[in-house]
Amino acid sequence: MTGTFSSLNTALSALRYQRVAMDVASNNIANLSSEGYVRRRAEAQALGAPEQIAMWSRYDGVGDGVSSASVTRLADPLLDARARREHGTQSYLDTRVAVLSRLESGVGEPGASGVSAALADFRNSWQDLQTHPEQGASRSQVLATGRALAQAINGQASNVDSELAEQRSHLLDLVSQINSAASSLAAVNRSIADANGGGLDDSDLRDQRDVLAMRLSELTGSEAKARPDGGVDVLVGGVPLVVGQTAGTFTITGGVAPDGTSDGAPLSFAVVGSAGSTAVSPAAVGGEAGATSELITTTLPGYRAGLDSVASLLADAVNALHTSGYDLNGNPGQAFFSYDPLNASGSLAVALTDPDDVAASSVPGGGLDTGVAEALGNAQVADEAYRRLVSGLGTEVASSRRLGDNQRLLTTQVDNAREQLVGVNIDEETTNLMAAQRAYEAASRVMSTMDSVLDTLINRTGLVR
Amino acid sequence: MSTLRVTQGMLVGRSLDSLQASYERLAAAQEQVSSGRRINRPSDSPTDTAVAMRVRASLKSVEQYTRNAQDGIGRLGTVDQALSDVTDELSRAREIAIAGANTAASSPESRAALATELEQIRGGLLDAANTTYLSRPVFGGVTAGTAAFDSAGNFVGVTGQITRQVGDTVKVRVDADGQAVFGDGATSIFADLDNLATALRAGNAAGIQTGLAAITARMSTVSTAHADVGGAYKRIEQAQSTIESQQLDLSSALSEVENVDIARASVNLNLQQMAYQAALASTARVMQPSLLDFLH
Repeated sequence: MTGTFSSLNTALSALRYQRVAMDVASNNIANLSSEGYVRRRAEAQALGAPEQIAMWSRYDGVGDGVSSASVTRLADPLLDARARREHGTQSYLDTRVAVLSRLESGVGEPGASGVSAALADFRNSWQDLQTHPEQGASRSQVLATGRALAQAINGQASNVDSELAEQRSHLLDLVSQINSAASSLAAVNRSIADANGGGLDDSDLRDQRDVLAMRLSELTGSEAKARPDGGVDVLVGGVPLVVGQTAGTFTITGGVAPDGTSDGAPLSFAVVGSAGSTAVSPAAVGGEAGATSELITTTLPGYRAGLDSVASLLADAVNALHTSGYDLNGNPGQAFFSYDPLNASGSLAVALTDPDDVAASSVPGGGLDTGVAEALGNAQVADEAYRRLVSGLGTEVASSRRLGDNQRLLTTQVDNAREQLVGVNIDEETTNLMAAQRAYEAASRVMSTMDSVLDTLINRTGLVR
Repeated sequence: MSTLRVTQGMLVGRSLDSLQASYERLAAAQEQVSSGRRINRPSDSPTDTAVAMRVRASLKSVEQYTRNAQDGIGRLGTVDQALSDVTDELSRAREIAIAGANTAASSPESRAALATELEQIRGGLLDAANTTYLSRPVFGGVTAGTAAFDSAGNFVGVTGQITRQVGDTVKVRVDADGQAVFGDGATSIFADLDNLATALRAGNAAGIQTGLAAITARMSTVSTAHADVGGAYKRIEQAQSTIESQQLDLSSALSEVENVDIARASVNLNLQQMAYQAALASTARVMQPSLLDFLH
């Protein structure tokens, strides 16, 4: 239908739409670097003939202008899911590499001040004692190098212990981060459902939703499932943590006490929801929390156990030889090292205090025989075990680092693919802005042209000068 | 993967990532050059770390062997000197015994003079038998006391060998068995000389002959012991030269495993530096322009 004033309406609809287009472009530019922002596009739809033609109603117009049908958020849920998965794996590997590297730098091998050097010094001091059994200084030296060796092993043990304690308190911190992200996500889910019901634009809420889902994936390696109402459900290790507008509580049910100490039990997790508590297998948790729990459960205790076996191997072998000998006064040798079998590397210490108690002699009678000193000077009991331990740790760090580097390539690739779709390009937006500006100017011109046409029609028609 | 759209965010992200990676490589190259080491932590090369640790332990052992050998050489030198003195004293004792055996030609006074000289020789021998090295009697075995023989010629040491480790499997005895060299109590050289002096004073020809035979037999025992000491000395000297070459081999092996080839590392550092500068320059160039620079 073409009426006298319909062109004015067409121009008005164009002005309206171009205003929306300019708004969207400027919003895109404004959010160029906002985290999680997905670019929008103003969708235009030409207005024309009604979709259903009635019998007596004919449409003889050429179009009634434009309507700004909607603002589209250019996201791809599949790519988002893929990015979440890769980011979860990435943060798992990154956490692991960071902690292992820290542990490794505390080992100090190969070098002049590590346990390996202390073992060699200890051996050499026995040989010096063999050379000068008559000098009290060589006996004191044996005690001193023995103490240095014990301290070097204690030092590594306490390194591992403090790393374990740090990881335990880090895990507590992670759990509170997980729960705050989960409850925020549940709140956003609610807002999205409300906005949908009210017919409002929920793009910003969806941005927030994706940021939170990504954060949860990085923290726990969780999986997010889209809901029909626009929200997402989050599953950690297959157990629902966020369902629609309600969030469960991710809790540590054993292994780490609330004050960050170990409670002796194996590490276990559960999600506590309104329906009760559901256990989550620690092996099924990924991301930062998964890496931390694996470090607490397997990796760090494994290195600690290796260190313990080195310490007990050393102490047992030295003690066996030492107790077979006789000290300076001719008395049978006592144990040289003492340790607690439950915590060998942490409690290893030299049991002797008096240099005269060092049993260098293999025969009784207080002579200067040095049979035991000779045997101890040649005994390389713990060296091989310690070398294996260190090179095992090195291999683990190197392979984790390699995996992390490979994963980074993959993560970057997925991020780029996602960025291609959702990222804001200034050139593009500037062009859109200019196009909208020109279109707005043209629509204004239409308006004034129509005005002038109507002016002619209304004011001049029939007037004769 | 074909790139459909490139955005500013992508460029920024990529540039930051590659700048970071480039800077990391630069830091690694710089660490190698400044520390001079190829292995700064076990993960740099787990296998070579184990090798380096083993070589370091061997190097320490070899250093200890050097110290052991030096001590052994000193001790054996003392034993050698003591045994030379013993041989000299025994030769003089033998001359006196031969002179005294001519009983017909000698007056009781001259024989008494010979006996007195013999007693002095006995004193000299006792001193030699109690020779010490670092205040330990070298013929006293593993005794904690200060003497190997008392004035009556009884062995007061503790039987035992003193050995020095001068190689992974090389152990050398660095003392002489006092009882074997000098005998003990009634069967010792000291008792023999006492008996000879008594026989000389009494003009007992048979006693003098027995004494002469005992001294001659003792001389051959001492020279056997002396030869053993000489042999041990030689073995330690050989071990020392082995140790020296071993020390060189191990040091070069260690530096091969642990240390960087400085020339290569420096070239690598320069390369990484250039790469980093190039990354910076290209980032600066790519970041600047947008359509806005060309619109008016």
